[in-house]
Amino acid sequence: MGKLTNFKRSLWVFHASGGSCNACDIEIIAALTPRYDVERFGIKLVGSPRHADVLLVTGAIPRDFADKLRRIYEQMPDPKAVVVIGNCGTSGGVFYDSYNIAGPIDEIIPVDVYVPGCPPRPEAIIDGVVKAWLKIEKLEKELEGKKE
Amino acid sequence: MTWIESLTLNSPSGFWNPIVWLVFLVIFAIIGYLIYSRGNRSYKPNTDQVKPFLSGNKVEDVEEIRVRAGDIYWGFIEALKGYYDVLMRMHTGDVRDYILWYLGLGAIILFILVGGV
Ligand code: SF4
Repeated sequence: MGKLTNFKRSLWVFHASGGSCNACDIEIIAALTPRYDVERFGIKLVGSPRHADVLLVTGAIPRDFADKLRRIYEQMPDPKAVVVIGNCGTSGGVFYDSYNIAGPIDEIIPVDVYVPGCPPRPEAIIDGVVKAWLKIEKLEKELEGKKE
Repeated sequence: MTWIESLTLNSPSGFWNPIVWLVFLVIFAIIGYLIYSRGNRSYKPNTDQVKPFLSGNKVEDVEEIRVRAGDIYWGFIEALKGYYDVLMRMHTGDVRDYILWYLGLGAIILFILVGGV
């Protein structure tokens, strides 16, 4: 794994849940509880995508939610990364090919990291967020390159 | 008297000097530019990025979502709907209609006052 060198601030995460069964969401919360306590690394859930670096998406995304997800993604400042948590968002999972599903998520917004599992363990979620962190560092370097 | 002093306008409550004013203007412009230059360059105007976050819902036109002064009387207007419906139909906004009302009511009042004599 690469070293975290460029992105010098805490990583703030926004969680959008679109039609998930709530188990993935609970595992995200588990990553915040004292056993894992990701906040000690500066990884923090925030209440608005306007403040977020990473978007965590769970669920198979029903049709009504697709537009909202697009809007949430648009509202995040650059550089940003999207992490899909769970099989539902990755491939449709148990809802695969359902008539009322607009997902998988990568058909709606660009996805950087997939964390499969039904639901994935908190360790896997943390690993996914760290991968997103590395991706954001890369994007930030590119942005800085453009600045010069 | 130096040239700077010759530009100064003194008054009992202070003084005014265009050079001092200009110096401050330049200082504040530099401070403003420094703050501006620390801004996020990847910011994209005219996209959803500049809009407020409403749980992913579309941001409606401000005309649609704000509470108007008339909304304060909503209950009142709703309760007296029948009365207001008639009044609003009469209130056409056409000055000729109002003159007509004025003349008509004037004639009735005159008739009551003078007619009895
Ligand atoms: S992936 Fe599994 S646990 Fe996660 S939301 Fe879908 S059904 Fe629930």
